[in-house]
Formats: sequence, structure tokens, C-alpha cells
Amino acid sequence: MSNKLIDIVNITKSYDENIVLDQLNLYIRENEFLTLLGPSGCGKTTLLRILGGFEAPDSGDIIFDGKNINSLPPNRRQLNTVFQKYALFSHMTIAENIAFGLKIKGKTKGYIQDKIRYALKLVNLDGFENRTPDSLSGGQQQRIAIARAIVNEPKVLLLDEPLGALDLKLRQDMQYELIRLKNELGITFLYVTHDQEEALTMSDTIVVMNQGYVQQVGTPEDIYNEPQNAFVADFIGDSNILSATMVEDKVVKMLGAVWECVDVGFGKNKPVDAVIRPEDIDLVKPKKGIIQGVVTHIIFKGVHYEMEVLANNYELLVHSTDMFPVGTEVGIKVDPFDIQIMQKPESEDEEAAGIEE
Amino acid sequence: MKSRKLLTGPYLFWAVSFIIIPLLMIVYYGLTDKEGNFTLQNLAQITTPENMKALGLALLLSFISTIICLVLAYPLAMILSEKNVNQSSFIVLIFILPMWMNSLLRTIAWQNLLEKNGIINSVLGFFHLPAQGLINTPYAIVLGMVYNFLPFMVLPIYNVLAKIDKDVIFAARDLGANNLQTFTRIILPLSVPGIISGITMVFVPSLTTFVISDLLGGSKILLIGNVIEQEFKQGSNWNTGSGLSLVLMIFIIVSMALIAKYDKDGEGTAF
Amino acid sequence: MIKSAAKRFYLILIFILLYAPIVTLIVLSFNSSKTRAKWGGFAGKWYITLFQNQEIMNALYTTLIIALVSALIATIIGTAAAIGVQAMKPKFRTLTLGITNIPMLNADIVTGISLMLLFIAFRFSLGFKTILLAHITFNIPYVILSVLPKLKQTNKNVYEAALDLGASPVYAFFKVVFPDIMPGVFSGFLLAFTMSLDDFVITHFTKGPGVDTLSTKIYSEVRKGIKPEMYALSTIMFLTVLVLLMLVNTAPDKTDVLSSGQIEIKKKHKLSRFIFRKVVPTAIVIVIVAGGFFYGSHNSAAGKSQVIVYNWGEYINPDILTKFEKETGIHVVYEEYETNEIMYPKIQSGAIAYDVVCPSDYMVQRMIENNLLAEIDFDKVPNIKYIDKPYMDQARQYDPENKYSVPYLFGTVGILYNKTMVDEPVDSWGILWDKKYKDSILMQDSVRDTFGVTLKYLGYSLNSTDLDELEEAKKLLIEQKPLVQAYVIDQVRDKMIGNEAALGVIYSGEALYTQLENPNLEYVIPKEGSNLWIDSWVIPKNAEHKENAEKFINFLCRPDIAKMNYDYTTYSIPNSEGRKLIEDKALRDNRITFPEPEDLKNCETFKFLGDENDALYNRLWREVKSR
Repeated sequence: MSNKLIDIVNITKSYDENIVLDQLNLYIRENEFLTLLGPSGCGKTTLLRILGGFEAPDSGDIIFDGKNINSLPPNRRQLNTVFQKYALFSHMTIAENIAFGLKIKGKTKGYIQDKIRYALKLVNLDGFENRTPDSLSGGQQQRIAIARAIVNEPKVLLLDEPLGALDLKLRQDMQYELIRLKNELGITFLYVTHDQEEALTMSDTIVVMNQGYVQQVGTPEDIYNEPQNAFVADFIGDSNILSATMVEDKVVKMLGAVWECVDVGFGKNKPVDAVIRPEDIDLVKPKKGIIQGVVTHIIFKGVHYEMEVLANNYELLVHSTDMFPVGTEVGIKVDPFDIQIMQKPESEDEEAAGIEE
Repeated sequence: MKSRKLLTGPYLFWAVSFIIIPLLMIVYYGLTDKEGNFTLQNLAQITTPENMKALGLALLLSFISTIICLVLAYPLAMILSEKNVNQSSFIVLIFILPMWMNSLLRTIAWQNLLEKNGIINSVLGFFHLPAQGLINTPYAIVLGMVYNFLPFMVLPIYNVLAKIDKDVIFAARDLGANNLQTFTRIILPLSVPGIISGITMVFVPSLTTFVISDLLGGSKILLIGNVIEQEFKQGSNWNTGSGLSLVLMIFIIVSMALIAKYDKDGEGTAF
Repeated sequence: MIKSAAKRFYLILIFILLYAPIVTLIVLSFNSSKTRAKWGGFAGKWYITLFQNQEIMNALYTTLIIALVSALIATIIGTAAAIGVQAMKPKFRTLTLGITNIPMLNADIVTGISLMLLFIAFRFSLGFKTILLAHITFNIPYVILSVLPKLKQTNKNVYEAALDLGASPVYAFFKVVFPDIMPGVFSGFLLAFTMSLDDFVITHFTKGPGVDTLSTKIYSEVRKGIKPEMYALSTIMFLTVLVLLMLVNTAPDKTDVLSSGQIEIKKKHKLSRFIFRKVVPTAIVIVIVAGGFFYGSHNSAAGKSQVIVYNWGEYINPDILTKFEKETGIHVVYEEYETNEIMYPKIQSGAIAYDVVCPSDYMVQRMIENNLLAEIDFDKVPNIKYIDKPYMDQARQYDPENKYSVPYLFGTVGILYNKTMVDEPVDSWGILWDKKYKDSILMQDSVRDTFGVTLKYLGYSLNSTDLDELEEAKKLLIEQKPLVQAYVIDQVRDKMIGNEAALGVIYSGEALYTQLENPNLEYVIPKEGSNLWIDSWVIPKNAEHKENAEKFINFLCRPDIAKMNYDYTTYSIPNSEGRKLIEDKALRDNRITFPEPEDLKNCETFKFLGDENDALYNRLWREVKSR
């Protein structure tokens, strides 16, 4: 892939006693759509603000395009931010809002006019030049905020939960809009969200964060299919996380039975966590399953049925297109490739820090 | 819902009895002579040279005081809004606490500070600087106005500044504005409602004061407030006094209109 | 770093500006000298005498009770109004809020005047009640504007949820809505209380006789010098509130609002809630109950029998009033004024029924001519025999048949000068126009006195009505204005004592006191002549307690009482039996107090010149003042 554009080296930031980012390392490549994903309070927004120049890190360096930009004020950084609550200038019209950065840079009137028209077209809001921000809906304001940022042709666009305040349908539309924009502009997007679906849909790379630590970096597929720890597994999508024992390579004991899997290198008779996605559990005739269980709940979800199955005192979450009424006895089978084995954290701190392989 | 509206009843009754009707009384007295006949004579009183002078001087001094208050208050409000100081403790310190020492007494204390042998001149003398003749001059009155009304300028400006979303300022910085540009293009325009309401809240009481000019001007300097006060309390000429008050109210109404125009949401109010 | 230092420096500067006068007042409260102009050493005595000073304690109590009651009523009406306004259609809401803004934005002087006109038109007698009504009026907007924002923040569904769960509207309001808006209601109350406490202008216009808040008390004391107890009282009030606020505000350290800080904020809320819910109400109740007993014990006589006295400031020995009350059982309501011109319209308007008033000569004449005075029944004033005949004769100039007035005190007007600042002998008014003494001259802030001095200097009568002569005098006064430090009344005394000025026009009675305080001062009646004045007691026609007024006058004519008065005021008494009682021979024969006939050779007494000429004088005087 292309070069590193931003290198984040050993960044630490704390408020009072509270450590928000701890020795964080991360790099962002040119033209990448990178998403910082994590629950609120995980430090993702703080990291974004440090990149934007609104907060100074306690220690560590931000390298942008090979240069250290630690002490560069926000107005001299080649990145622009789309704020969570848009932060439009309420005393200016839409056109004035968009023109703000360009006027500061001393661009000509004609150039500015062209840019405004171009940007409004890009966000599908032609003709909104003379409206005021408070006459716009949330989604429209959001798009203006993006337009205002991109007319400055930044190398990186920082987006801080930009869709958080929108309703579901609008959010989905805007996701496609953002992907389209990114492709048209060909610049780097650094996106912050706590919505895993949003992250999976849009990103090239996802960085899962928790309590100031990076938990896992990878493509959406990696993150979803091979979570490296229980936190990631739990945070991304629905999953059954089960206490298990690695009997030997490729053999795991869980749910009171012995299963075949594909993971190796955990040692013999070691306690581990096993993750099975609900859609990966196959419900079959009782005899054909490795273990047996009883369906206790069932909900129709449109695409599939969501069921809870009680097996050997474990409640398993199962997604299936086949329907099994409550009380049905079923057999349970899992493909060895669909069992993901993870090391158990030994302390809470380690759990937060994630496991480095 | 209906019954909730009725709760306004007592207040509306009160407001009509003690706000509206009294103002109409001033209009009535202002437009009639002692026998109760209609006349514009009272309004015309404002054009006598003495009254014009008093009005002109009041306008000038209150204008200067307002400007000084604005210049002093804006940086103060900015510093405080940046500092994330606990708002209530600040308001208390600047605004509520001094009020528990009577404002007349505090103004009188300025006499002690400003007098020929007063404290300020003693300090100046200590540094071998020339003594200043401050007391009983227009400067002393301006000082008194600034002193008394400064909090009324600080509060509304502070309130709007504190309400500005920090992200809006960050956004301006992010889009390339330096500190000065951020101030002139974003912060200043956004604080206009506070400034307007601050200006009104300083200008109106300064324009109409008679106490400050009395206490710090040595009765040498007559402002329009003094003229009106004397018409009522000494001249017993209520008609002329009311007439002059009506003229004064024109300035007040202009101020109120300004507030209504620039501060539609009431965000610039001091309280 | 430099930036934050600059900010801190700026904050400190503003702080100094705001608090310099407060510190000054606190320092003054420990000044053992009675006048503000002189530091007499450290003393705490004012903190003791404060509590013995009935007038100040009364004013304090009135102030607190008005602030409390008006804030309470305003809070109730205002909170109800705010809730109602919230439910209104936008159009009405705008209108209502517009009305609400009027008292906030309108000038105090206009609000005060308008209420005064209302009260007088509807025959409310000006007094405690009218002040209270006025204060409620200007307090309500503060409450409404404090409560409204909180109401906007509360979730409407919460109230509906309560109704849904079976609460009655009233119950739902008090259990669900009210706790939410409580902080707004409370801060509205506090703001209203403070505003009421600090108001002067509106109270000034709506108050009646015998009622004073601290503000109006202070204002009436300004001219003659603030009583040091006042400084002590405000120091106590200030420090009390300061301590209370420190308890509320500084208990937890100021950590920022991050998750860890939340616990501390909660703690802080607990403490401030404790203070607001327990300490403040308790304090208020104590004040009211204690004050109530105090006030009640002093006013129990008020219902029975009283006399309303309207006198010059600092013009009677307060012990005399106590003595009179004790001897006769009549309660004295006492009120003061600065000048004849301030007093006259109050009597004329009849808004307040005073029983006995003390105008000067020419004003007595004016009041007689305008039919404002009642004849005194001299059978009830037997002590009139102690008033010396020459003064009764002198009084015929303005009260030809001696029917309406009883001479009280008399004196001359002259120049008080500081021997260390004035080298040449002073014998003429002319020295007041000497450029050498620029900014060191104090003139009287009263029309007749100032014009009288000038007319005398020009060689005219001080009762001149000749337009040319008066214009000439006016010109001279305008010429003099740049030289004048200030136009003041009783303040001449303090300023001369404090070496603030070299020359001042002053009444003879004040001269004696100033000499005691500052031996460098000398009093002279200029050779051109001056004003010989007599202040007399009169009874207005609309007096409601005429007999008590006559008893009061009779009491004052008693030689021992006249002597007591002399001791206190150092003004001349027209009562030779009384004069004989003065122990100190130097004082008894003091030529300033009791001048020889040759001193008074060119002296005249003021006459009333008619309403038209009065207006002329006033016009010319205003022209001088506004120049």
C-alpha cells in the first residue's frame, strides 16, 4: 500500500489523574479511510483532537508527512475537522461558512465562488448559499460542515462522530455519501465512531480502542472474523464468548464437549476464550449435533430468526434462516474454521491493554 | 394547559397596575400643565440652554463610560470564559458580593480615594508624582459610572461568550484562522447580543443617574438626572419633570429596540 | 507564560478597582475620628455604638424586611408567571416578556417617579407599604428571567409522566417540576433580595416620613457626613455574606468537570444545599424574629400617639427626642431635609402630613402667604416666654403677628477659612473670587445663600428682585465657578476639617464645631454684611397631631432643653435663660454664636420674594450650575 502519512508515536495524554491515552502508537497511510472505533471514553476523540491541534499530548510525537507537527497551531496544520455537532458559524450564511477558510487564505473572489458551488454540489445542497445554518436540518448541517472542511483541500479530513446526531435512515444514506466523497476527493479520512456497523461499512482500516489502548488494527474482515480478544469480539457484532480449554493444537474443549478447530500454538490444557458468531452455529437434528440443546426463545428479525438455545447450561445466541419453535430439541454443530480461539487475559489491566502477539 | 396560563394572571395584574399605569401617569403629567390642560411646553423645556447642556453632558459622560466599560469588560469576560471558572463563584465575586456593601457608601468611598488629600494622591505623592485634582470633575463622575455599572457589562458578555461552543472556535482555527482572525470573525460577531445588552445596561443608568454626579461631582456638574430629580424633589414641578422624563424615555426606548433587534433569543441577558 | 501572567495582572487590576472602595470603607469603620476626613487612630467602638443607634438599626431592619418580603412575594408571583408564560402562545409570550423587560431596562429614576405619581394620585400615603410595592415591582422581572431558562430546560414529559402515573397536577408540579426549576427560583430570589437591598433611587422616590432604608438613610447623611456606625454595619454585612459564600464555594477544590471530578461536585452540591436549605432560612428566620421583637418594642407607642417632625439634618440633639418621648409618651417620627427648597414642595403637595416643621425665615413667610400653615395656639405653648423679645421682633419680618412660628435657632452666614492656607486677612466676600484659591473654595449648594452672598458682595440687598442686579450676580457666580471646588451643604464642615479646602461659606453654628476639630480654622462675617437667619417651628395646616406638635414646640422652648440643643448643634439659641445654663464661659460669650449688634450692622434677613421671583432665582441658579 501507499506511504505513511501520519505517524503517531508514543502519545500519552491524561486529565488530572485520569489517563486517556497511554503510550499509543499508530500510523495512517495516504488515501486510507481509517476508523477509530471504541466505546465512549476510550480516548478516540482525544486522539483526534490531538491530531487537529486542539489538545497537546503530554508526551510523544505526531509526525505528519515526515515532519514533527507537535507545536504547530491548528490553523497551520494541513488537516481539517468535521465536528460532532457541526460547529457551524451561526452568524454567517452557508456560503460565508464555506468561504471562511478560503477567505483567510486570501483566495480570489472568483475562486471562492467556484469552490462554494462545487462544494455544495458535492454534498448535494446546490442553491443553499444564502440560507442560515439554523434553517437547515441536522443532515444538511452535517453536509455543510463537510463542505466547509473539504473546500480547503486538506490532505486529511478528521471526522468526529459526524453521523451521531442523525436518525438511522439518514445515517445510512450519509455513509454511502461519505464513501463516494472520499473516492472523489482522493484524500485520507480519519473517522471516529462508536458505531461498529458504520465502521465496518466504510473503513479501509479499523482501529479498535478501549480505555486508551489500541486493541486491534485491521481490515473490517479481520476485525470481524478474527477478533484478537474478548473485548473486540464482544464489541464487534454479536458473538458467543465461551470459556474453553485448549486440549492440544486444533482441539478445544468447551460446552462440555470436545471440538475440532484450526488454531495452534496455545500449548496444552491451557484455559482460553473461544468466540463463535451466532450465524456460524448450525442447528441440526439432535442426533447429528456434537452437543444437544433446547430452543428457549425465538424472534423474527427479517433476514433471519434469532434464537437462544440452552445447551449444557450455556445460553447460546444463534442466527438461522430456518425456524425452530420454542421447546424444539436441536443438535449443535460448528465448522472448525468458525471457532476463534483467544488467550484469556490474566488481569483487568491486561484485558484493557489487549494482548500483543 | 389552560389553567397554567392563568398563573400569569397575578403578574399581569401587577404589571398593569405598577408598570403600565405609572408610565401612563408620566405621559399624562408630561403632556399637561398644572391645570391639567394639554401642552407641549414641558417637552419643550428640554431645549432651554441649561437643560440641553445637562442632557448633552449626560449623553457625553454616559457614552464615555459605556465605551470604557466595554473596553474593560470584554477582556475580563473573555479571560473568565476561557478559564472555565466556576460561573457562580465569579458572578458572586464581581456582582453580588459588592452589593452587600451599599452602593452609595461605595461611591462615597471614592471621595476618600480621589480627594486632594485622598488615598490616591497620597500614593502618587509617595512616588513623587504630581497630585491629581480628580474629585468634583467629570472624570470622577465617569469613574463612578464605570465603577457602578461595570458588572452590568461584564455579565451579559460573559454569558454569551460562555455559551459559544468551543468547537466553533476550534473549527475556525481548524479552517486556518489565527487567534486574531478567530476573534474578529467569530467570537466578536457571536458576542454582539451580549455587547448590545451590556451597552444598554450601562448606558441607560449612566445617562439617568443623579446620585453619582451628586456624590462625585460636588454638585458642580448637573446632569439630566439631577435636573429631573430637582424638578420633583425641590422644584415641585412634576409636569416639567415628567416632560423631561418623557424625553429621556426616548433614549431608553431606542435602547430597548436595539436589544429586541439583536438579542431575539434573550441570550444576552445578564441573569 | 507571559500571556497568563498578563491575564492574571488584568484580573487583579479589575479586582482592585472593584474592591478599593470596599476596603476603604472597612478601614473607615475602624477610624476613631467621627469625620471621614481625618484618621483618628484605630478603634472598634463604632461596632458597639452601632447596636445602640436606634435609627440605624431601624433602617437596617426595614431594609432587610423589605428585601425579604418583596423578594418572597416577587418569587411567588414571578415563578407562577414564568410557568404561565411558558404555556402561552408565542405572541402573548413576547408581549408579556416585553412588559417584564420594562422595569429592568427603564431608568430607575423614571420607574421611581412613575410609581410616586401613581401612589400620590391614588392617595396611597407614602411609607413602608409603598416602598414594598415598588420593590416587588422591580423584583418580579429578576425572578421571571431566572426561572424561565430553567423551565425551558425541564422535560415536559416528566410532568406528563407524573400525571400519567396518577398524580394530581398540583402534586405533580411540586414533586416533579418544582425540584427541577428550584435552582432558578432560588437564584431569582437571591437576586431579587440583593437588588432590593442595594436599591436607592426607587426607594428615594417612593418612601414616606419616618421610614428609611439603609440607602436613603445614607443619602440623607451624605451632606452632613456619614455616621461611622454605618461603615461598621456595612462591614459586618459584607463579611457575613463573604463568609457564607466562602463556605458554599470553596469547600471542595476546583477540579475540572471530568469523570473523577463528578464526585466532588456532588459533594459540593450537598454542602451548598445544606447551606441554602438549612443555614440561610434559619438565618433569615432569626433576623425576622429578632428584628421583629426589636422593632416592635420600639414602635409599640406608634399606634397610640405620635408627632411627625420634619427638621434640618443634624439639627437637634437626639437625646431631646428620647426625653420628650419619655416625658410625654408621644412617639416621635423624625425625618430630615437638606434645604428649604427640598422641604417646601413636600409640605405643599400634602403627600405627607407632617406635624411640625422647621423652615427658615423667608420660607415661613412663603408658607404663610400660600396658606400652608396653621395658627399656633400659644395657650398650649406657655414656654414661649423664654424666647427673647428681640428675636420675636425680628420674626415679625416674616411672621408679622407672631402667629405662626416660634424661633428655634439662629445664626449668620460667613466665611470659614484655614489660617495656614490663607495669608491675608479675610474681611470681604471678594476673597471668594481670588484666583489664588482656585479649587480651594467651597460654596453653599442652595440658591438663596449663594445669591445672597454675591448680592451682598456687589453691595445690593440679598432680597433683590431687580433683574439687572441678579444678572450681575449670576455673571459673577459663573465667573467664580472654575475656582469653586464643590457646591456642598453640610459637607463644608468635614472638608474644612480635613484641610481639603482653604475657604468655605458656612453657617455660624457649624463654625464652632469645626474650630474644635481643627484649630486652624477661623470664622468671619465679611464687612459687606451677610444673612442673619432664624429658623422657626411651624405647624402645617394638614397636620394630624396638632396638639402633640404644640407640646413638642413648648418642650423645645424650655431653657434646659434649649441648652441641651446648643451643646449638640452649637447653633445659637434665642433663649437667654438657656444661654445662662452654658457652663463654659468662653462658649457662653462666644462672639460667633452670640454676635454683638455691631457685627450685624449690614446683615439682613431673607424675605420670601414671591413664586415668580423664586422661579427666576431658580432659573438663574440652574444656569450657573449647568455652565
